[in-house]
Amino acid sequence: MKVLATYNIKGGVGKTATAVNLAYEAASRGNRVLVWDIDPQGAATFYFRIRPKVKGGGKALVSGRRDLDEVIKASDYDNLDVVPADFSMRNLDLLLEGSKKPLATLRRVLRSVKDDYDLVFLDCPPSISLASESVFRAADALLVPVIPTTLSIRTFEQLDRFVEENPEVVKDLDVIGFFSMVDRRKRLHRELLVELREARPDLLDELIPAVTDIERMGVHRQPVAAFSPGSRAARSYAALWDEISARLQSA
Amino acid sequence: MSEVRRFVVTATGDPAALLADLAEHAGLRATSSVVVERTFLDTADGRLAGADIVLELRRPADGVGAPSLVWIEDGRTVATSDLAHPEPPRFVGDLPAWPTGDRLAAVMEMRALVPGPTIMSRLTTLAALDREEKTTARVVVDASTLHGGAELPVRLELHELRGYAREADRLLKRLTDRHVLAPGDATAAAEARRLSGAPPFLRSKLRLSLDPTGSAAQAWRTVLQELTFIMTANFAGTIADTDSEFLHDFRVAVRRTRSVLQEGRSVLPPDSRQQFREGFKWLGDITTPQRDADVHLLDFPGLVATLPPERAEALEPLRELLVERQGACHEQLVTDLRSLRRAQLGRDWAEFIAGTQAWPADDGGEPGSDAPDAQRPAIVVAATRIHKAHQRLVRDGRTIDDTSPAVALHDLRKDAKRLRYLLECFGSLFPAADIATAVKPLKALQDTLGTFQDTEVQAHALEAMAEQLVDRGAPAATLLAMGAVIENVNARGVAARAEFATRFAAFDSGPVNGAYERLSEDAEAMS
Repeated sequence: MKVLATYNIKGGVGKTATAVNLAYEAASRGNRVLVWDIDPQGAATFYFRIRPKVKGGGKALVSGRRDLDEVIKASDYDNLDVVPADFSMRNLDLLLEGSKKPLATLRRVLRSVKDDYDLVFLDCPPSISLASESVFRAADALLVPVIPTTLSIRTFEQLDRFVEENPEVVKDLDVIGFFSMVDRRKRLHRELLVELREARPDLLDELIPAVTDIERMGVHRQPVAAFSPGSRAARSYAALWDEISARLQSA
Repeated sequence: MSEVRRFVVTATGDPAALLADLAEHAGLRATSSVVVERTFLDTADGRLAGADIVLELRRPADGVGAPSLVWIEDGRTVATSDLAHPEPPRFVGDLPAWPTGDRLAAVMEMRALVPGPTIMSRLTTLAALDREEKTTARVVVDASTLHGGAELPVRLELHELRGYAREADRLLKRLTDRHVLAPGDATAAAEARRLSGAPPFLRSKLRLSLDPTGSAAQAWRTVLQELTFIMTANFAGTIADTDSEFLHDFRVAVRRTRSVLQEGRSVLPPDSRQQFREGFKWLGDITTPQRDADVHLLDFPGLVATLPPERAEALEPLRELLVERQGACHEQLVTDLRSLRRAQLGRDWAEFIAGTQAWPADDGGEPGSDAPDAQRPAIVVAATRIHKAHQRLVRDGRTIDDTSPAVALHDLRKDAKRLRYLLECFGSLFPAADIATAVKPLKALQDTLGTFQDTEVQAHALEAMAEQLVDRGAPAATLLAMGAVIENVNARGVAARAEFATRFAAFDSGPVNGAYERLSEDAEAMS
């Protein structure tokens, strides 16, 4: 079981859309996939039309009173299940502080489902905190959407620095960045794409465009490929998953 | 993941009326309805069915669009892929590159997929939705017709979704309140096989339940009948070379037959026994070259894997040679299997098995054979044979040490095979627990002896093939790669040789010898 976390210190960069669409893509190819919506805002849960409620709340999971597999909900799609968001997860930092080994907690919680799934997507809230450090420890890779703007790049660099400076926290973690919400009509985006590709050749080739179909996920409450198969956005996520899965296999 | 409950809708009449009723009274919403032609694929021995896996080739009923391959496990769709060409996949390597395809590959192994029955189906999926329009349960109604016209019973699957068990229970209650649902565990594939009169899946394991108090002659006959059944069932697949296991199972049945004949010295008429021992030896011998060629090809990926990837490509000329040899051996085997001699052997054997020369007629009467043990209880005769074979294996094994020549281990392998066949063929006469205790360490010992001999044979064969490749002007890289492979094969042989003492000690131990003694005691108690 590989654990992938969609993460960025900055909000509004397309983390949830990435988690939902890549999870759908991976599941449609035959992987057994779980999405865990750790973000208390519950956007991924909303897209899957699931009630944002976990029995016993985040506390029951973190304390080990309840196993993760007891709170999993099937999505509407084959091979794709969800651990819904719960508002109590807004206090995840506090809940982790109360546990014995805070950094190892999420990894421990995930252990109960390791034989049930090939892939787990953690949809994380934006921040650097104890909760994110626990995510870093649990994950095999961070999927980091980067908008081609100066500020977004800066936060990506902050993340890089954190990973570099805290090897005891992150251990084996692959940081996989890719461009998100790209609007080629904007000159700044075009210029930064060229500039950043040179500076960061490790960024994935495929980029996710800023298109209406992705915004409409909230209206349809479905992954893009479910309501608009073959669309540009759907094709982009499929190609992005090709790249990510190849990278995971070669790791 | 999701659970699937399968039902047969009894007394339905019109499937369309059923669907309308489900929508109107059970609050279900139809989410898809397709008409497809479905051909079920499985290995000849039903490995997929045994693992509750259904693999079906779907073609749109209107013939427009690509065929697709659907993998269903425990009723749940695991993966679907459009196929680039209309031919169904045969071997693991022909399957789409599914991320979890290793699971399917582990079930299929080296066996080929064989197309089973084809049905035309209208598959309608209906969803139970909550207030958020989230699916909480799914119902699939399958109204199918066999090619040829016979209708399958209308099947209804209730897909319980993980985390929504209560919703599924409530839906099931609504369904059973209005419709007569009979639990129907069989998959559509199994139902189609049943209705189409498809023959049962092949089996290589013996299915015997011998009567310990019956006569030895009767037991020998039952075993030989079963072995004949297996040989016959695998004959066509061997001729067609559908996959390597038809010939493998055919050969094993031939070898077991030879062994049962050998052990029947005091049970069978001597002339017939001698005639058929010679006949089946010939039959076994003519299958050996192709089996060897099959084994080389089956082992090839494993041999390649022992080399670094950059050197693996150099073995391609060897693979080509192996394929060529296998083809030539198969051609010769087909000629031999279609020969007059083979046909005559088959006729004589059928006559012998059905006749009364060696055993009483099916409707009773006096036995034809006056062999000394023919009328003794089967368990007594079998126990004596097993005892002798066990004693011999223990005696010969104890003489082997680190200085013994390889041939001593090869001879011991024959002893072990003899004992194993006796246990497999006559084991049902004895308590199952004792047979299990007796077989387990024997099997482990055989594995070690087998690896030791097979690696030696393989290394010699590879050396001979290397010479052939030299004659054909193969590049030096190929020969160097083969040298490395031969070294690896020899290393496996050395490891097996080193393992022998431990394996034999486990076999020649108090509890195992005790189990063998109990087999004799059971027989004495019966006599």
